[in-house]
Amino acid sequence: MAFTNHNIRLDELPRLNTLSMQSLSEKYRPINLLITATIIGILLAIVTIAHFQTMIAIPAHLHDYYPFGMLVIAIVGVLMMTHGYFSDGVKCYAVREHDISFSSGLFFRKIVSQPITRIQHVEIKRGPIERAANLATLQVFSAGGIMHTFEIPGLEHQVALDLRQFLLTHKDLQKND
Amino acid sequence: MTKMAHDSTLTDQPQWQKLSPIAIAYFAAKGIKVVANNILYLIPALAFSYSSIAQNSQIWIPAILVLLSLITTFSVLSYIFYQYRLFNQQVEIRSGILFKKYVNLPFSKIQNVTLEQPFYYRLLDCCCVELDTAGSFKQEAKIVALPLSYAEIVKREILKYAQDTQNNNETEPSIDAIDSAEKVINTRSINDLIIHGITNNRVWIIVGAMAPFYETLLDKVVSVLESAGIDLKQLFDSQTHALWQMILLGISILVLVMFCMALISVAGSIAVFYRFTLSKLDDRYIRRSGLITLQEVSMRLSRLQLVVKKQDWLDLLLKRINLELRQNNSGVVHQNEMANSNKIVVPSVNSAQCEEIVNDALPTNQLASISFSPISKRFILRQIIVLIAPICLLCLGLFYLRQADTLLLCIVYSALASSLIYCRWRRWGFAIDDEFIYIRKGLFGVDYYCFPIYKVQQTEFMQSALMKARHLASVKMILASGPLTLPFVPENIAIQFIDRTLFKVESDQRSWM
Repeated sequence: MAFTNHNIRLDELPRLNTLSMQSLSEKYRPINLLITATIIGILLAIVTIAHFQTMIAIPAHLHDYYPFGMLVIAIVGVLMMTHGYFSDGVKCYAVREHDISFSSGLFFRKIVSQPITRIQHVEIKRGPIERAANLATLQVFSAGGIMHTFEIPGLEHQVALDLRQFLLTHKDLQKND
Repeated sequence: MTKMAHDSTLTDQPQWQKLSPIAIAYFAAKGIKVVANNILYLIPALAFSYSSIAQNSQIWIPAILVLLSLITTFSVLSYIFYQYRLFNQQVEIRSGILFKKYVNLPFSKIQNVTLEQPFYYRLLDCCCVELDTAGSFKQEAKIVALPLSYAEIVKREILKYAQDTQNNNETEPSIDAIDSAEKVINTRSINDLIIHGITNNRVWIIVGAMAPFYETLLDKVVSVLESAGIDLKQLFDSQTHALWQMILLGISILVLVMFCMALISVAGSIAVFYRFTLSKLDDRYIRRSGLITLQEVSMRLSRLQLVVKKQDWLDLLLKRINLELRQNNSGVVHQNEMANSNKIVVPSVNSAQCEEIVNDALPTNQLASISFSPISKRFILRQIIVLIAPICLLCLGLFYLRQADTLLLCIVYSALASSLIYCRWRRWGFAIDDEFIYIRKGLFGVDYYCFPIYKVQQTEFMQSALMKARHLASVKMILASGPLTLPFVPENIAIQFIDRTLFKVESDQRSWM
C-alpha cells in the first residue's frame, strides 16, 4: 500500500462528547430495583427464620446481634437501591454510522466504544426475568477477549433484535469475511 | 519443479498414515505428566494413611508397577489409534482410545505451523507439528511425531497454501526461492544470554521444573552441611554470637543466595534461548531457540498487535532491552510461558538492534525519537490517598495510643511509598502520531509500548467524579493482545485520543489480523 501521511484536522473528527445518547427501556430500572429488593427481603427472611426457629441450636450471643444484623442488611439494601436507582438512570447508549457506545457509572463514568468493523459476533442474552419483562441484553464480542465484551443491558427485545440486525448487516462487518 | 511436485503429492495422500513409533515415548511422557499432576491431589490421602503405608512399605512396588504398565498400555494404544492424513488441502487427525476424537482442519484456516522437538525426539530426528488457528477457529491440532524432513515439507506446503489463498494473483515462488529468502534478523550469543540471565529473573524456568524435589533437596543440603561439620542451629544461635556477626553472616548468606540465583537464572536463560535466531520469511517472523527442547515459533507480521520494549533497572545500567512482539492473546492458553506462541521475545538486545527490529516490524514508527508527554500530577495524590492513607490511618487508629513507634513506622512507610509513587508517575508518558500510539510506564525500569492505531478493538473513556472536577480522565485501549490503560490525562486529550482512534479504525481499510 502506498504510504500516505494526510493532515487530520482535529476539530473535524467525529466527537465522543457530542454523541446523541439513547436511554434504556423504562422497565429496566424498576425491574432492577425489584430484584435488589427481593434479594434483601430473602436475606432478612433467612436471618429472621434463623433467629426464631428452634430446630438448630445457635450460640446465644449471636441472637443478641439479631436487631443489629437486620439493621445493617436493611441499610445496605437501601443504599444499594438508591445507588441502583441513580446509576441505572445514567446508563445510555449511542449508535453512530461506524461504532456503538455505552455509557454508565454514577461516580465512575465509563464510555465504552466498539467500532463495528472490529466486531466478531453478536449475541442476545435473555434471562428468565428479562424474558418475562420482554427485555434483552445485547452482547458484542471483539478480539479484545471475553473480559471486554461490549454489553448493553435493558433493551426492549425488539430494539435488541433491530440493533443486532443493524450490526450484522453493516458493510464494515461484511467486508471482513 | 519435480521436487515441488513431489512435495505436493507427499502432502496429498488419501490413505491414513501412522506416526513414527517414537510417538509412544511422547504419549508416555504425556501420561507421566498427567499422573504427576494428579499426585498432588493424592497427597492428602497419602499423608492421612501414612502410618499404614509405612508399615507395608512393599505396597509401593506393585503400585508403581501397575502405574507403569497402565502408562505403557496407554501410550501404545494411543499410538495404535492415532492416524492422520493430509488430503484435499485438509489436515485430518483421528485419535483417542475410548473417547474418539476427530480433527479436521482445512489448510486455509491454519495461521501458524510450529515445529517442536523434545529432546527424546532428537535420536530419531522427529518432531511435533503444532497447527495453530489463532483462535479464529475452534480446533487446535498437533501431529505428534513426524520425521523432521517430512514435517518441514508439511509446514512449507501448508504455509504456501495459506499464502496462495491470500495473494492469488502473484506468481508462485519456487520452494528453493522461499528457502533462500529466509533472512536472519537477529541472533543471540552466549554472552547475550548470560547478560539476559543476570538482568532478568529466569530462575523460575529451573525452579518450576524442580518443584517436586524441593523437600528432598533441602534435606540433602542440610545433611551435607552437617556432615561437613557445619551445624545450622549453632550458626544461627544469637546467644553465641554478637549482633554484628549475625548481620555479617546474614549479608554474606544473602549474597551467596543471590549469586546462586543468578547462576540458576543464567542456566534458565541459556536453556530457553540457546542458539536464538529471529528470522524473517516473506511476511512472517520465525523464532528458533532452545537447548533441550528446540522451539520454533512463527508469527505473521500482519498479526502483530503490539511491540513492547522492556528494560528493568539492571537493563538500564547495561543498556540492554528485551523486545516483545505480541500477537492476539485470545487463543489457547499455553502451559509453558516460554512456549507461548502469542509473543516472540528477543532477549537482551542493544538499542541499535532493537530499533532495527522495531523498524522492520512497524515501519514509520517513531518509538526511538518521539517525545512523551507526562500524565497529570494528580495521579500522585490519588495513589497516596488510595495506597498510603488508609493503611496509616488504620495503624494510627489501632496502635497509636499504645505505641509511639507506630507513628515513626507510618512516617517511614509513607515516605518510602510516596517516593515509589513519584517514580511511577515520572515513568508514565504518552504520545500519538498519525499511525501509532506510544505509552511509557515503569517503576525502577521502564517499558515502552507501541501499537498501530488501526489495530485497536475497543476504546474506553473513564472518569471519576473527582477527576471530572479537575477535567482529567483515563483512557483504555483494548487490543487483541490485551488492554492498555493510560491514567490521568487531561480530559480533552483523552477524548482526542479516542476520537482519533475510532476515526482511524473505522476509516482505515486494513484488517487487524
